[in-house]
Amino acid sequence: MKFIYQDLLNFLSEEPSIEVLSDKLFQLGHEHEIDDNVFLMEFTPNRGDCLSLSGLARDLNIFFGKEEPFKVFEGDIDPLNLNFKNLSTQACPKISFLEIEIEKIPNTYEPFLENHFSMSSNKKTNFFTDVSNYISYELGQPTHCFDADTISNELVFENRICDESFKSLLGHNINLSGKNSIFSLDNKIISLAGVMGGMSTACTTKTKKVLVECAFFEPEAIIGKSVKYNLTSDAAHKFERGVDIEAQEKVLRRFIQIVKDHTEIKSIKIQTFEDIQSQKVRIPVDVEGIKRILGIDLEEREYLTYLSKLGFTIEKEIIVPSHRHDVMSQNDLAEEIARIIGYNNIESNFLEIKKMADECLDNSNRLKNYLIKNGFSEVINFPFTENKKEKSISIDNPLDSNRSHLRTCLKDSLLDNLLYNERRQKDSIKLFEISDIYSNDNKINYEKKLGIVISGRRGHNYLDFSKKLDNDYLSELLNYHSDIPDFNIEEIHRSELKTKKKDRIFYVEILIDQLPDHIFEDSEPHFDQINFIKYQPVSEFPSSTRDFSFSIEDFNKYDALIEYLTDLSDKNLKDAFIFDFYKNQKLNEIKVGIRLIFQSSLTTLSDEEIQKSVNKLLKPIMDLGGVSIPGLD
Amino acid sequence: MDKIEPPLIKKSLGSLHPISQTKDFLLKLLSEIGFKEIHGPEIESEKFNFDMLNIKKSHPARQMHDTFYVENKSSVLRTHTSPVQIRGMLNTKPPLAFTSAGKVYRKDDDATHLPMFHQVEGIYVDENVTFANLKDLIHQILHNLFGKDIEIRFRPSYFPFTEPSAEVDILSDNGKWLEILGCGIVHPKVLKNCNIDAKKYSGLAFGLGVERIAMLKYGVNDIRDFYKSNLDFLGQFK
Repeated sequence: MKFIYQDLLNFLSEEPSIEVLSDKLFQLGHEHEIDDNVFLMEFTPNRGDCLSLSGLARDLNIFFGKEEPFKVFEGDIDPLNLNFKNLSTQACPKISFLEIEIEKIPNTYEPFLENHFSMSSNKKTNFFTDVSNYISYELGQPTHCFDADTISNELVFENRICDESFKSLLGHNINLSGKNSIFSLDNKIISLAGVMGGMSTACTTKTKKVLVECAFFEPEAIIGKSVKYNLTSDAAHKFERGVDIEAQEKVLRRFIQIVKDHTEIKSIKIQTFEDIQSQKVRIPVDVEGIKRILGIDLEEREYLTYLSKLGFTIEKEIIVPSHRHDVMSQNDLAEEIARIIGYNNIESNFLEIKKMADECLDNSNRLKNYLIKNGFSEVINFPFTENKKEKSISIDNPLDSNRSHLRTCLKDSLLDNLLYNERRQKDSIKLFEISDIYSNDNKINYEKKLGIVISGRRGHNYLDFSKKLDNDYLSELLNYHSDIPDFNIEEIHRSELKTKKKDRIFYVEILIDQLPDHIFEDSEPHFDQINFIKYQPVSEFPSSTRDFSFSIEDFNKYDALIEYLTDLSDKNLKDAFIFDFYKNQKLNEIKVGIRLIFQSSLTTLSDEEIQKSVNKLLKPIMDLGGVSIPGLD
Repeated sequence: MDKIEPPLIKKSLGSLHPISQTKDFLLKLLSEIGFKEIHGPEIESEKFNFDMLNIKKSHPARQMHDTFYVENKSSVLRTHTSPVQIRGMLNTKPPLAFTSAGKVYRKDDDATHLPMFHQVEGIYVDENVTFANLKDLIHQILHNLFGKDIEIRFRPSYFPFTEPSAEVDILSDNGKWLEILGCGIVHPKVLKNCNIDAKKYSGLAFGLGVERIAMLKYGVNDIRDFYKSNLDFLGQFK
């Protein structure tokens, strides 16, 4: 919500700079950004009372004093005899109507009104609606303007179950469903109460006689409707958070005054329907209670002064003003005091908690450590799937039809992860996930499961490079701990997946809770101290591989060669590893093979760029002497 | 030639997911302060996810557009780990100090919000627990995470289950305040709901978004990177 700095100053006694005002707004809990002398406010949902200039000024009163820089009409007003029936007084305990007829529609606006539309992003609509919108900005109370000539029969308010269409004043057809608070004429809906009026009774640029509706709707009756029907509505935003039930007469008198400032009024009539008397909230004066909550020293006089400046009435008890729906208890008052003092000005008090338990590694953490030591990477997946299985949990309101159920196993997610990495040229994939898996078997159950998927080379070293990850590898990995209960290793056939790769895929899923407690006891945490490294963004460009085989004739150069190969560095070199080592006793020769993987984070590398890097990397080896690359001139 | 040894094989380690690492770091830190970790289900009743936490039926968070409902509205995917603490309080007499951590779900999916993310929350209930104690605890946590020199700002906020409530910001290197956690004094209604005498006991509570902390600590700019399962990404967190 936007507030113009200069407008806010008009409601304050002092003239703080925008920076000082900003600091105090933050201190009071009104988060915002500043854009060119405009406060872009993000109010918490419990502070509906601050959604206006006068509301903000009330909160800032203690720091800068507050003013009411506007006039309200103080003359007599004739009674209105409106044909109105309120069928849902719980949803709308109090509602007022003002009927005004004017001689002439004004051609121009007074500066304050003109500035409001020129400075804000709000567009002018018609005179009465523009006044209504301005008053909402100034006083926080939404009003709705019916063209009075369209309200010919009995006007009815009710909270009723709807299954009908209604044309909003923006011209959109809204299909109402479920329970809604509405106004109707001849049983036909003319307005979605507290959210948006209808086209059939809307004011136009020709309207000279208006019926202004000014209501208090219970937030529960309005909440969720603007989102449900995709209607952007300042009124709904305010009613959902609660407006001041006692402000109706003042708001309507201000409406009259603004109209009077612009044109000659022919007649004004007013009528209020108050079916349920509002009750003031009263809280005992208890400064000791406030001190206990906040942990500060506080004089009772100081405490009462703060509350008084915030609009609370101090009698034998503290009476909460009608605009503060959020204050019900001593804890709420403690927050008020803390806001005024400033959360940052409350001194910390040392907290010592008696330790409840020693750290211990649970089975899933032990498993993780064991798998990580064996080269596996942990993944975490969303649980949503489109696949409905026998006992799967269905989501009533999914994000989309592809995410309408919860997965009943980890396999599909892990296979997706495997294929994703294969597409990124990974040739050795070892992934695991540990997660709770939910099912509905007359009641909702959950089990913690481990899923493991493997495919490709066993490792990037000369011993494992030519071996493949397979059933034997997985059996060996898990049988190492013979206490693991029965498990089935499943081969996933490539024909089931949309992939042309040839490497075999193996998958296993194990119930963690069935593992004996002592399992993996020797698996000390790998991550004793977590180092928060600075992450480098992952390149989306393809990588290129170059393999080189070195023939070492002068064995004195062997150590220098290996040392160099294990510490290669180039801006385009992503990875390097020795994939082959061979001693040929007959030829008295040693061969070492190295794989270089190049990738740039900025571009797809050309052959020339890769060759340039290769030449740079190989030159020191060629300079060693006694080492050659067979076939390379 | 016989003296030539094959090159040493450096065992290639895998990696613990950065979200797990960050969560474990926070849990270890809180354990050292005195908190005990407790666990609970990700599918919850509305009673535990909302009612017991003083979240009214009309609260926007309970709407279908914010919360995932399952099995004909019989349950919800928990929107926070607070229900775990409710279960803990129902089973334990004060003094108590619990952490709950894990996956939570909200009906969001855009560049900065995911439908699933992780929280670490803590609650401490004892006699004479004050807002000043809460501030001390938050300072302990944030100094451990970001260093003793980090500038910290407390702002009033609103959570139905705490009163007073605060959001806490840290000052980033570029001079902007970054929201880092929410906290407050446990609402007396929540204590009463858990059969705890709110006249005798008071409590403090806080909640951290694990992804947010991980993004800040590791310098990851896009929250979606955590869930692509890209080995080039995961391999950096060894």
